[in-house]
Amino acid sequence: MEHVWDFQTVFASWSLLSQGLFNTLKLGLLTLITGLFFGFFVGLGRYSRSSWVNFPAGVFVEVFRNTPALVQIMWFYFAFPIISPFDIDTFAAAALGLGLNTTAFCAEIFRGGIQSIHRGQWEAGKALGMTYREQVLRIILPQAVVRMIPAFMNRVVELMKMTSLASVIAFGELMHQAKTISTYHFNPIESYTVAALLFFLVISPFAFLVYHLENRFRK
Amino acid sequence: MGYVWEFGVVFNQLDLLLAGLLNTLKITGGALLFGIPLGLLAAILRLSTYKWLRVSVGVLIEFFRTTPPIVQLFWFFFALPMLSGIEMDPFRASLVTFSIQSSAFFAEVFRGGIVSIERGQWEAARAIGMSYLESMRRIILPQAVKRMIPAFLERVIELMKTTTLVATVSYADLLYQANNIAQSTYRPLEVFTVAAGLYFIVLFPTSLLVKRIERQLAKTGEGTVH
Repeated sequence: MEHVWDFQTVFASWSLLSQGLFNTLKLGLLTLITGLFFGFFVGLGRYSRSSWVNFPAGVFVEVFRNTPALVQIMWFYFAFPIISPFDIDTFAAAALGLGLNTTAFCAEIFRGGIQSIHRGQWEAGKALGMTYREQVLRIILPQAVVRMIPAFMNRVVELMKMTSLASVIAFGELMHQAKTISTYHFNPIESYTVAALLFFLVISPFAFLVYHLENRFRK
Repeated sequence: MGYVWEFGVVFNQLDLLLAGLLNTLKITGGALLFGIPLGLLAAILRLSTYKWLRVSVGVLIEFFRTTPPIVQLFWFFFALPMLSGIEMDPFRASLVTFSIQSSAFFAEVFRGGIVSIERGQWEAARAIGMSYLESMRRIILPQAVKRMIPAFLERVIELMKTTTLVATVSYADLLYQANNIAQSTYRPLEVFTVAAGLYFIVLFPTSLLVKRIERQLAKTGEGTVH
Protein backbone atom coordinates (compact mmCIF):
# COMPACT_ATOMS: atom_id res chain seq x y z
CA MET A 1 0.00 0.00 0.00
CA GLU A 2 1.43 3.30 -1.11
CA HIS A 3 -0.07 6.23 0.67
CA VAL A 4 0.51 9.72 -0.65
CA TRP A 5 0.60 12.02 2.33
CA ASP A 6 -1.31 15.19 1.67
CA PHE A 7 -1.59 17.69 4.48
CA GLN A 8 -2.98 20.37 2.16
CA THR A 9 -6.60 19.56 2.96
CA VAL A 10 -5.94 19.64 6.70
CA PHE A 11 -4.28 23.03 6.64
CA ALA A 12 -7.00 24.35 4.31
CA SER A 13 -9.34 23.66 7.26
CA TRP A 14 -7.09 25.51 9.69
CA SER A 15 -9.95 27.74 10.87
CA LEU A 16 -11.80 24.63 12.09
CA LEU A 17 -8.71 23.33 13.86
CA SER A 18 -7.87 26.62 15.53
CA GLN A 19 -11.44 26.92 16.74
CA GLY A 20 -11.13 23.40 18.14
CA LEU A 21 -7.88 24.29 19.84
CA PHE A 22 -9.54 27.32 21.38
CA ASN A 23 -12.44 25.21 22.67
CA THR A 24 -10.02 22.62 24.08
CA LEU A 25 -8.17 25.34 25.99
CA LYS A 26 -11.43 26.95 27.12
CA LEU A 27 -12.79 23.67 28.49
CA GLY A 28 -9.45 22.75 30.07
CA LEU A 29 -8.89 26.10 31.75
CA LEU A 30 -12.44 26.44 33.08
CA THR A 31 -12.50 22.95 34.58
CA LEU A 32 -9.00 23.40 36.02
CA ILE A 33 -9.98 26.58 37.84
CA THR A 34 -13.25 25.17 39.19
CA GLY A 35 -11.50 21.90 40.08
CA LEU A 36 -8.78 23.70 42.03
CA PHE A 37 -11.25 25.96 43.81
CA PHE A 38 -13.77 23.33 44.90
CA GLY A 39 -11.09 20.67 45.32
CA PHE A 40 -9.50 22.82 48.02
CA PHE A 41 -12.70 22.82 50.09
CA VAL A 42 -13.46 19.15 49.50
CA GLY A 43 -9.87 18.31 50.45
CA LEU A 44 -10.20 20.28 53.68
CA GLY A 45 -13.56 18.61 54.23
CA ARG A 46 -12.00 15.16 54.07
CA TYR A 47 -9.59 16.28 56.73
CA SER A 48 -12.43 17.43 58.97
CA ARG A 49 -13.07 15.69 62.28
CA SER A 50 -16.86 15.83 61.91
CA SER A 51 -18.10 12.76 60.05
CA TRP A 52 -21.00 14.85 58.69
CA VAL A 53 -18.40 16.66 56.64
CA ASN A 54 -15.71 14.09 55.92
CA PHE A 55 -18.01 11.20 54.98
CA PRO A 56 -19.87 12.91 52.09
CA ALA A 57 -16.62 14.47 50.95
CA GLY A 58 -15.03 11.02 50.92
CA VAL A 59 -17.91 9.46 48.99
CA PHE A 60 -17.80 12.25 46.41
CA VAL A 61 -14.05 11.86 45.89
CA GLU A 62 -14.13 8.07 45.64
CA VAL A 63 -17.10 8.01 43.24
CA PHE A 64 -15.49 10.46 40.84
CA ARG A 65 -12.05 8.89 41.08
CA ASN A 66 -13.28 5.33 40.58
CA THR A 67 -15.59 5.76 37.61
CA PRO A 68 -14.40 6.54 34.07
CA ALA A 69 -14.42 10.20 33.01
CA LEU A 70 -16.20 9.28 29.78
CA VAL A 71 -19.04 7.69 31.77
CA GLN A 72 -19.27 10.86 33.85
CA ILE A 73 -19.47 13.07 30.75
CA MET A 74 -22.09 10.83 29.12
CA TRP A 75 -24.04 10.71 32.36
CA PHE A 76 -24.18 14.49 32.47
CA TYR A 77 -25.13 14.69 28.80
CA PHE A 78 -27.68 11.90 28.45
CA ALA A 79 -28.94 11.18 31.98
CA PHE A 80 -28.65 14.37 34.01
CA PRO A 81 -30.89 16.59 31.79
CA ILE A 82 -33.86 14.43 32.82
CA ILE A 83 -33.67 15.60 36.43
CA SER A 84 -31.86 18.88 35.81
CA PRO A 85 -33.85 22.10 36.23
CA PHE A 86 -31.78 23.85 33.54
CA ASP A 87 -30.73 23.03 29.98
CA ILE A 88 -27.48 21.15 29.42
CA ASP A 89 -25.61 21.63 26.16
CA THR A 90 -22.49 19.74 25.12
CA PHE A 91 -20.17 22.29 26.71
CA ALA A 92 -22.08 22.30 30.01
CA ALA A 93 -22.11 18.49 30.17
CA ALA A 94 -18.38 18.22 29.44
CA ALA A 95 -17.59 21.02 31.90
CA LEU A 96 -19.69 19.41 34.65
CA GLY A 97 -18.18 15.96 34.15
CA LEU A 98 -14.56 17.11 33.88
CA GLY A 99 -14.99 19.84 36.51
CA LEU A 100 -16.25 17.42 39.15
CA ASN A 101 -13.67 14.81 38.14
CA THR A 102 -10.88 17.37 38.54
CA THR A 103 -12.38 18.55 41.83
CA ALA A 104 -12.14 15.00 43.20
CA PHE A 105 -8.53 14.49 42.08
CA CYS A 106 -7.46 17.96 43.30
CA ALA A 107 -9.13 17.27 46.65
CA GLU A 108 -6.86 14.26 47.08
CA ILE A 109 -3.80 16.34 46.18
CA PHE A 110 -4.76 19.02 48.71
CA ARG A 111 -5.44 16.39 51.36
CA GLY A 112 -2.13 14.66 50.72
CA GLY A 113 -0.25 17.95 50.75
CA ILE A 114 -1.89 19.16 53.96
CA GLN A 115 -1.34 15.80 55.65
CA SER A 116 2.35 15.90 54.76
CA ILE A 117 2.79 18.98 56.97
CA HIS A 118 3.85 18.03 60.46
CA ARG A 119 1.19 18.14 63.24
CA GLY A 120 3.36 20.50 65.23
CA GLN A 121 2.78 23.24 62.68
CA TRP A 122 -0.94 23.22 63.42
CA GLU A 123 -0.29 23.22 67.15
CA ALA A 124 2.20 26.06 66.86
CA GLY A 125 -0.38 28.07 64.93
CA LYS A 126 -2.97 27.41 67.60
CA ALA A 127 -0.51 28.28 70.35
CA LEU A 128 -0.07 31.70 68.74
CA GLY A 129 -3.81 32.21 69.02
CA MET A 130 -4.60 31.71 65.33
CA THR A 131 -8.05 30.58 64.24
CA TYR A 132 -8.46 27.46 62.09
CA ARG A 133 -8.73 29.65 59.00
CA GLU A 134 -5.59 31.54 59.84
CA GLN A 135 -3.69 28.31 60.51
CA VAL A 136 -4.69 26.93 57.11
CA LEU A 137 -4.07 30.10 55.14
CA ARG A 138 -0.92 31.38 56.84
CA ILE A 139 0.90 28.31 58.16
CA ILE A 140 -0.19 25.10 56.42
CA LEU A 141 -0.97 26.09 52.82
CA PRO A 142 2.16 28.15 52.12
CA GLN A 143 4.27 25.11 53.05
CA ALA A 144 2.02 22.49 51.46
CA VAL A 145 1.47 24.20 48.11
CA VAL A 146 5.12 23.90 47.10
CA ARG A 147 5.02 20.13 47.61
CA MET A 148 1.79 19.85 45.64
CA ILE A 149 2.98 21.61 42.49
CA PRO A 150 4.25 18.51 40.60
CA ALA A 151 1.00 16.66 41.35
CA PHE A 152 -1.04 19.63 40.10
CA MET A 153 1.01 19.85 36.91
CA ASN A 154 0.36 16.16 36.40
CA ARG A 155 -3.36 16.88 36.79
CA VAL A 156 -3.12 19.56 34.09
CA VAL A 157 -1.61 16.97 31.72
CA GLU A 158 -4.32 14.42 32.51
CA LEU A 159 -7.07 17.04 32.29
CA MET A 160 -5.95 18.38 28.92
CA LYS A 161 -5.96 14.82 27.59
CA MET A 162 -9.41 14.22 29.05
CA THR A 163 -10.89 17.25 27.26
CA SER A 164 -10.70 15.13 24.09
CA LEU A 165 -13.47 12.94 25.56
CA ALA A 166 -15.91 15.80 24.95
CA SER A 167 -15.70 14.90 21.25
CA VAL A 168 -17.85 11.84 22.03
CA ILE A 169 -20.82 14.09 22.82
CA ALA A 170 -19.92 16.30 19.82
CA PHE A 171 -18.51 19.33 21.64
CA GLY A 172 -16.40 21.14 19.04
CA GLU A 173 -12.96 20.72 20.63
CA LEU A 174 -9.83 19.74 18.74
CA MET A 175 -10.53 16.02 18.43
CA HIS A 176 -14.08 16.64 17.22
CA GLN A 177 -12.85 19.12 14.62
CA ALA A 178 -10.30 16.58 13.38
CA LYS A 179 -13.10 14.03 13.10
CA THR A 180 -15.18 16.52 11.09
CA ILE A 181 -12.30 17.30 8.76
CA SER A 182 -11.54 13.61 8.24
CA THR A 183 -15.11 12.74 7.24
CA TYR A 184 -15.34 15.78 4.99
CA HIS A 185 -12.04 15.33 3.16
CA PHE A 186 -11.60 11.55 3.61
CA ASN A 187 -8.18 12.14 5.13
CA PRO A 188 -8.18 10.42 8.56
CA ILE A 189 -4.42 9.75 8.40
CA GLU A 190 -3.46 13.38 8.03
CA SER A 191 -6.17 14.94 10.18
CA TYR A 192 -5.66 12.61 13.17
CA THR A 193 -1.89 12.91 12.85
CA VAL A 194 -2.14 16.70 12.96
CA ALA A 195 -4.56 16.50 15.91
CA ALA A 196 -2.15 14.23 17.80
CA LEU A 197 0.74 16.62 17.15
CA LEU A 198 -1.28 19.65 18.24
CA PHE A 199 -2.24 17.93 21.50
CA PHE A 200 1.40 16.98 22.00
CA LEU A 201 2.49 20.59 21.44
CA VAL A 202 -0.01 21.90 23.99
CA ILE A 203 0.51 19.23 26.65
CA SER A 204 4.20 18.28 26.51
CA PRO A 205 5.49 21.54 28.05
CA PHE A 206 3.52 20.67 31.20
CA ALA A 207 4.84 17.11 31.19
CA PHE A 208 8.36 18.48 30.83
CA LEU A 209 7.73 20.85 33.73
CA VAL A 210 6.67 17.91 35.93
CA TYR A 211 9.99 16.16 35.29
CA HIS A 212 11.91 19.34 35.91
CA LEU A 213 10.14 20.11 39.19
CA GLU A 214 10.35 16.53 40.46
CA ASN A 215 14.08 16.46 39.80
CA ARG A 216 14.51 19.76 41.60
CA PHE A 217 12.50 18.67 44.62
CA ARG A 218 14.47 15.44 44.86
CA LYS A 219 17.61 17.52 45.39
CA MET B 1 -39.37 17.64 39.47
CA GLY B 2 -41.40 14.53 40.01
CA TYR B 3 -39.26 12.06 38.15
CA VAL B 4 -40.15 8.43 38.82
CA TRP B 5 -37.05 6.26 38.92
CA GLU B 6 -37.57 2.90 37.26
CA PHE B 7 -34.64 0.56 37.63
CA GLY B 8 -36.64 -2.51 36.61
CA VAL B 9 -35.99 -2.03 32.89
CA VAL B 10 -32.27 -1.89 33.56
CA PHE B 11 -32.18 -5.03 35.65
CA ASN B 12 -34.11 -6.86 32.93
CA GLN B 13 -31.11 -6.24 30.70
CA LEU B 14 -28.46 -6.78 33.32
CA ASP B 15 -27.05 -9.74 31.38
CA LEU B 16 -26.20 -7.38 28.49
CA LEU B 17 -24.45 -4.99 30.87
CA LEU B 18 -22.52 -7.85 32.46
CA ALA B 19 -21.49 -9.11 29.01
CA GLY B 20 -20.23 -5.57 28.40
CA LEU B 21 -18.32 -5.61 31.68
CA LEU B 22 -16.73 -8.90 30.65
CA ASN B 23 -15.55 -7.31 27.39
CA THR B 24 -14.18 -4.34 29.35
CA LEU B 25 -12.19 -6.76 31.51
CA LYS B 26 -11.07 -8.62 28.39
CA ILE B 27 -9.61 -5.47 26.82
CA THR B 28 -8.02 -4.46 30.13
CA GLY B 29 -6.49 -7.92 30.60
CA GLY B 30 -5.26 -8.11 27.02
CA ALA B 31 -3.66 -4.67 27.25
CA LEU B 32 -1.92 -5.74 30.47
CA LEU B 33 -0.70 -8.96 28.88
CA PHE B 34 1.11 -7.09 26.11
CA GLY B 35 1.64 -3.76 27.87
CA ILE B 36 3.65 -5.06 30.85
CA PRO B 37 6.46 -6.83 28.92
CA LEU B 38 6.55 -4.00 26.39
CA GLY B 39 6.75 -1.46 29.22
CA LEU B 40 9.58 -3.35 30.92
CA LEU B 41 11.49 -3.45 27.64
CA ALA B 42 10.91 0.28 27.09
CA ALA B 43 12.07 1.04 30.65
CA ILE B 44 15.29 -0.93 30.19
CA LEU B 45 15.95 0.73 26.82
CA ARG B 46 15.34 4.14 28.36
CA LEU B 47 17.99 3.38 30.97
CA SER B 48 20.45 2.28 28.30
CA THR B 49 23.92 3.80 28.17
CA TYR B 50 23.53 4.53 24.44
CA LYS B 51 22.38 8.09 24.19
CA TRP B 52 20.49 7.84 20.90
CA LEU B 53 18.56 4.80 22.12
CA ARG B 54 17.74 6.45 25.44
CA VAL B 55 16.54 9.64 23.78
CA SER B 56 14.47 8.05 21.01
CA VAL B 57 12.71 5.65 23.39
CA GLY B 58 12.14 8.56 25.78
CA VAL B 59 10.50 10.64 23.05
CA LEU B 60 8.23 7.71 22.09
CA ILE B 61 7.18 7.15 25.71
CA GLU B 62 6.48 10.85 26.18
CA PHE B 63 4.49 11.00 22.98
CA PHE B 64 2.17 8.21 24.08
CA ARG B 65 1.91 9.63 27.58
CA THR B 66 1.02 13.16 26.51
CA THR B 67 -1.40 12.63 23.63
CA PRO B 68 -5.03 11.76 24.39
CA PRO B 69 -5.74 8.02 24.10
CA ILE B 70 -8.84 8.71 21.97
CA VAL B 71 -6.62 10.31 19.32
CA GLN B 72 -4.34 7.26 19.40
CA LEU B 73 -7.29 4.89 19.12
CA PHE B 74 -8.74 6.75 16.16
CA TRP B 75 -5.34 6.82 14.53
CA PHE B 76 -4.88 3.07 14.88
CA PHE B 77 -8.47 2.35 13.86
CA PHE B 78 -8.95 4.70 10.92
CA ALA B 79 -5.51 5.77 9.76
CA LEU B 80 -3.23 2.76 10.23
CA PRO B 81 -5.28 0.34 8.05
CA MET B 82 -5.12 2.86 5.19
CA LEU B 83 -1.38 3.25 5.62
CA SER B 84 -0.37 -0.35 6.03
CA GLY B 85 -3.18 -2.47 4.64
CA ILE B 86 -3.45 -4.28 7.99
CA GLU B 87 -7.08 -5.06 8.66
CA MET B 88 -8.39 -3.66 11.91
CA ASP B 89 -11.53 -4.63 13.74
CA PRO B 90 -12.62 -2.70 16.86
CA PHE B 91 -11.15 -5.33 19.19
CA ARG B 92 -7.77 -5.46 17.50
CA ALA B 93 -7.47 -1.68 17.23
CA SER B 94 -8.37 -1.29 20.90
CA LEU B 95 -5.92 -3.97 21.96
CA VAL B 96 -3.05 -2.41 19.97
CA THR B 97 -3.82 1.10 21.24
CA PHE B 98 -4.14 0.23 24.90
CA SER B 99 -1.17 -2.15 24.91
CA ILE B 100 1.08 0.59 23.56
CA GLN B 101 -0.51 3.37 25.56
CA SER B 102 -0.31 1.51 28.86
CA SER B 103 3.20 0.26 28.11
CA ALA B 104 4.36 3.89 27.98
CA PHE B 105 2.98 4.45 31.47
CA PHE B 106 4.26 1.10 32.78
CA ALA B 107 7.70 1.98 31.41
CA GLU B 108 7.79 5.00 33.69
CA VAL B 109 6.66 2.95 36.69
CA PHE B 110 9.33 0.33 36.01
CA ARG B 111 11.98 2.98 35.45
CA GLY B 112 11.06 4.72 38.70
CA GLY B 113 11.31 1.42 40.55
CA ILE B 114 14.64 0.42 39.01
CA VAL B 115 16.19 3.85 39.62
CA SER B 116 15.01 3.79 43.25
CA ILE B 117 17.32 0.86 44.04
CA GLU B 118 20.60 2.11 45.44
CA ARG B 119 23.72 2.05 43.27
CA GLY B 120 25.47 -0.26 45.71
CA GLN B 121 23.18 -3.13 44.79
CA TRP B 122 24.37 -2.97 41.18
CA GLU B 123 27.97 -2.79 42.29
CA ALA B 124 27.55 -5.71 44.67
CA ALA B 125 26.01 -7.83 41.89
CA ARG B 126 28.84 -6.94 39.54
CA ALA B 127 31.40 -7.67 42.25
CA ILE B 128 30.19 -11.26 42.51
CA GLY B 129 30.47 -11.62 38.76
CA MET B 130 26.88 -11.16 37.58
CA SER B 131 26.18 -9.86 34.09
CA TYR B 132 23.85 -6.89 33.50
CA LEU B 133 20.85 -9.14 32.78
CA GLU B 134 21.55 -11.35 35.77
CA SER B 135 21.82 -8.42 38.17
CA MET B 136 18.60 -6.95 36.75
CA ARG B 137 16.71 -10.22 37.05
CA ARG B 138 18.08 -11.53 40.33
CA ILE B 139 19.01 -8.44 42.34
CA ILE B 140 17.33 -5.27 41.11
CA LEU B 141 13.86 -6.28 39.89
CA PRO B 142 12.92 -8.47 42.90
CA GLN B 143 13.54 -5.48 45.19
CA ALA B 144 12.07 -2.89 42.82
CA VAL B 145 8.84 -4.76 42.12
CA LYS B 146 7.63 -4.36 45.70
CA ARG B 147 7.97 -0.59 45.54
CA MET B 148 6.22 -0.45 42.18
CA ILE B 149 3.05 -2.27 43.22
CA PRO B 150 0.96 0.76 44.29
CA ALA B 151 1.88 2.85 41.23
CA PHE B 152 1.36 -0.20 39.08
CA LEU B 153 -2.15 -0.89 40.41
CA GLU B 154 -2.94 2.80 40.05
CA ARG B 155 -2.10 2.45 36.36
CA VAL B 156 -4.32 -0.62 36.04
CA ILE B 157 -7.22 1.43 37.43
CA GLU B 158 -6.47 4.23 34.96
CA LEU B 159 -6.22 1.69 32.15
CA MET B 160 -9.60 0.19 32.90
CA LYS B 161 -11.17 3.65 33.01
CA THR B 162 -9.53 4.53 29.69
CA THR B 163 -10.88 1.41 27.97
CA THR B 164 -14.33 3.09 27.93
CA LEU B 165 -13.04 4.73 24.75
CA VAL B 166 -13.47 1.48 22.85
CA ALA B 167 -17.20 2.23 22.86
CA THR B 168 -16.48 5.02 20.36
CA VAL B 169 -15.24 2.49 17.80
CA SER B 170 -18.26 0.24 18.49
CA TYR B 171 -16.59 -2.44 20.58
CA ALA B 172 -19.30 -3.83 22.87
CA ASP B 173 -17.84 -2.88 26.25
CA LEU B 174 -19.87 -1.86 29.30
CA LEU B 175 -20.32 1.75 28.20
CA TYR B 176 -21.34 0.74 24.68
CA GLN B 177 -23.98 -1.66 26.03
CA ALA B 178 -25.23 0.99 28.43
CA ASN B 179 -25.60 3.45 25.57
CA ASN B 180 -27.54 0.90 23.51
CA ILE B 181 -29.87 -0.01 26.36
CA ALA B 182 -30.42 3.67 27.17
CA GLN B 183 -31.53 4.25 23.59
CA SER B 184 -33.85 1.28 23.42
CA THR B 185 -35.51 1.77 26.82
CA TYR B 186 -35.53 5.59 26.98
CA ARG B 187 -34.15 5.29 30.50
CA PRO B 188 -30.68 6.91 30.22
CA LEU B 189 -30.75 8.15 33.81
CA GLU B 190 -31.09 4.68 35.31
CA VAL B 191 -28.91 2.88 32.76
CA PHE B 192 -25.92 5.23 32.96
CA THR B 193 -26.18 5.33 36.74
CA VAL B 194 -26.08 1.53 36.94
CA ALA B 195 -23.19 1.41 34.46
CA ALA B 196 -21.23 3.92 36.55
CA GLY B 197 -22.06 1.80 39.59
CA LEU B 198 -20.67 -1.33 37.95
CA TYR B 199 -17.38 0.42 37.15
CA PHE B 200 -17.26 1.65 40.73
CA ILE B 201 -17.81 -1.86 42.12
CA VAL B 202 -14.75 -3.13 40.25
CA LEU B 203 -12.48 -0.12 40.68
CA PHE B 204 -13.13 0.95 44.26
CA PRO B 205 -11.80 -2.26 45.91
CA THR B 206 -8.68 -1.93 43.76
CA SER B 207 -8.23 1.65 44.99
CA LEU B 208 -8.60 0.50 48.59
CA LEU B 209 -5.99 -2.19 47.97
CA VAL B 210 -3.56 0.44 46.65
CA LYS B 211 -3.99 2.53 49.80
CA ARG B 212 -3.54 -0.49 52.02
CA ILE B 213 -0.33 -1.62 50.33
CA GLU B 214 1.00 1.93 50.42
CA ARG B 215 0.35 2.15 54.16
CA GLN B 216 2.01 -1.21 54.73
CA LEU B 217 5.10 -0.27 52.73
CA ALA B 218 5.28 3.05 54.57
CA LYS B 219 5.21 1.17 57.89
CA THR B 220 8.19 -0.97 56.96
CA GLY B 221 9.94 2.20 55.91
CA GLU B 222 10.02 1.18 52.27
CA GLY B 223 9.60 3.93 49.71
CA THR B 224 7.10 3.75 46.86
CA VAL B 225 7.44 5.22 43.41
CA HIS B 226 4.76 7.26 41.70
